[in-house]
Amino acid sequence: MKERGKVMEVAADKKPVSINRWLPYWAVFQYDVGQTLRSWVYLTWVLAVLLATTGYLLYRAGLTQEGGFVQQASQLFSHLLQGTVLVSIAFVVVLAAGCISSERGTLADSVLSRGISRYQYFLGKWHARLATVLGTYFVLSLVAMGGSLIFVHEDVTVDGSLVALATMGALLAAVVTAGVAVSAVSNNTLLAVAGLWVALYGGGFVLNLKWLRSSVTTSPAQVLERLPNILCGFYDLQALASLAGWSAAVSLTAAIVGMICFSRRDV
Amino acid sequence: MADTPSSDLVVETFKLTKLYRNRLIALNDVTLRLEPGCVLGLLGANGAGKTTLLRLLTGLHRPTAGWAKVFGKKMGPNSADLRRRIGYIPTNPQFPRGMTPITYLDYMARLFGLPADVRKPRLASLIRAVDLLGASGHVIDGFSNGMTARLAVAASLINEPDLLIWDEPTHGLDPEARRSMLDLIKELAREKTLIVSSHNLSDIDEVCNHAAVLSHGQLIYCGSLQDLKGRMRRNHFEMDLEGDQKAVAKATTAIRALPDFKVVNLRQRRLELYLHEEVVNTSALAGVFSILTDNKVSLVSVRSVGQQTEQAFLDLVEKEESRGFARIYQDEAA
Repeated sequence: MKERGKVMEVAADKKPVSINRWLPYWAVFQYDVGQTLRSWVYLTWVLAVLLATTGYLLYRAGLTQEGGFVQQASQLFSHLLQGTVLVSIAFVVVLAAGCISSERGTLADSVLSRGISRYQYFLGKWHARLATVLGTYFVLSLVAMGGSLIFVHEDVTVDGSLVALATMGALLAAVVTAGVAVSAVSNNTLLAVAGLWVALYGGGFVLNLKWLRSSVTTSPAQVLERLPNILCGFYDLQALASLAGWSAAVSLTAAIVGMICFSRRDV
Repeated sequence: MADTPSSDLVVETFKLTKLYRNRLIALNDVTLRLEPGCVLGLLGANGAGKTTLLRLLTGLHRPTAGWAKVFGKKMGPNSADLRRRIGYIPTNPQFPRGMTPITYLDYMARLFGLPADVRKPRLASLIRAVDLLGASGHVIDGFSNGMTARLAVAASLINEPDLLIWDEPTHGLDPEARRSMLDLIKELAREKTLIVSSHNLSDIDEVCNHAAVLSHGQLIYCGSLQDLKGRMRRNHFEMDLEGDQKAVAKATTAIRALPDFKVVNLRQRRLELYLHEEVVNTSALAGVFSILTDNKVSLVSVRSVGQQTEQAFLDLVEKEESRGFARIYQDEAA
């Protein structure tokens, strides 16, 4: 500030400027994607899934070559998908539930005191985490599928694979949205992560109880069990569409509740 | 600050109240109006509610009761359009990790919706202006207090705001940086409206033309700084004298005999006088001058003791506290 005159010149250089009203949303979106891709949670997640997938594929390939077992790609891929989803959920919860609450320090000072609305900020964050998580999940799944097809007997169909990936994607999207919503409401990242873990794994356990399994036709656990059939092209599209619809409804409700609560709270 | 129509006011609050979780009353019934071109100094002790008021004005907090209008419109968490006209500096500003001044200012400009052809030249000019050119590619995490303060100034000016809200901008700065900051405020004050909160009353005294005093969340004064100083009790004076020591001592004894003075002290050749509350200071001092003349003692200097704004602020707080339960009713002077 030795050259205060210059500060004044910059401050006084006033011409009408056309404002891009969605630029703040894009700024948050892009910044968050970059930040997520550099975070240790994300890198650990990708590394863990890649290592587990490679190890499992090599083990299965060894069984085929050394023991002569004939293995179906649908079985192998469904195992990989199930494992990927279950491992991923643990990481995705941490990624999503910390996305707003972990930025409390800089949120007000650097972001929300500028020309951005709370709605835009929430949408930017939510969409960024969705894009990162689902994009990564699909890439990892395609790697697993490619490996399954290379190493073992091919019996999967293209439409079955796409349906399986889309169904799993819908479930993950619901988890991401719930995480971002909890993060927007909570002040404490650890509490948000723990609460969401308990809710998801606890919910999964409850839905898997025998007496409930008979009354719920398509639970996430049942879909995971039926993955080999879905991958081979044998699936009930209506039931899967209903599950995807429920996931979308849960996502939308969580997002709206999270957005409204966030827009009403002090930061 | 009360004659301008509401629509022309830069800031207007009405019975603004903030309670945190029903446990803490941070702000109580604050009504103030700020005209364009004002430089308002926000005064108050720690926990008086200064930062809460500023956060309500920027929409970071929501009022429990009452409202705050900025540029004639109600401010809230989603008032992005209003915040585009405000430049805000918080106390001890925090920055996102891993950013450099260039990436940070670019991010801030994008948050204001500024297109690339506007924001790029502007951020480059600001980085040069705040003297961060050499550190423009360095990560902010390792910056000193002075550097982060300069970066915060640049960020608050990137949108060319009409209203600047700076919360303790001189906090933690060395004397040189503090001087630069005060000079900058004075220059910005020529064409912008400013609200500056500070613990340092001499800073407020130097750069502001209006003052608002908060005490325990309540606005106890809002008006011109001159008026605030005018309320000060001028009952403590110091005089530096010149003349024979015996004559000075004799004059002091004579002054002590006057009924207007509560305390009269002589240290070397410096005379310290405390007047009684109800005494008119001009007539009392006329008596002193007369005695000094009779004793052939000359006057080197005479001054009213105490930093004026500080004294006025302390007087106000003291007076407010002394009102006891009568504080339920707003003091008309406020």
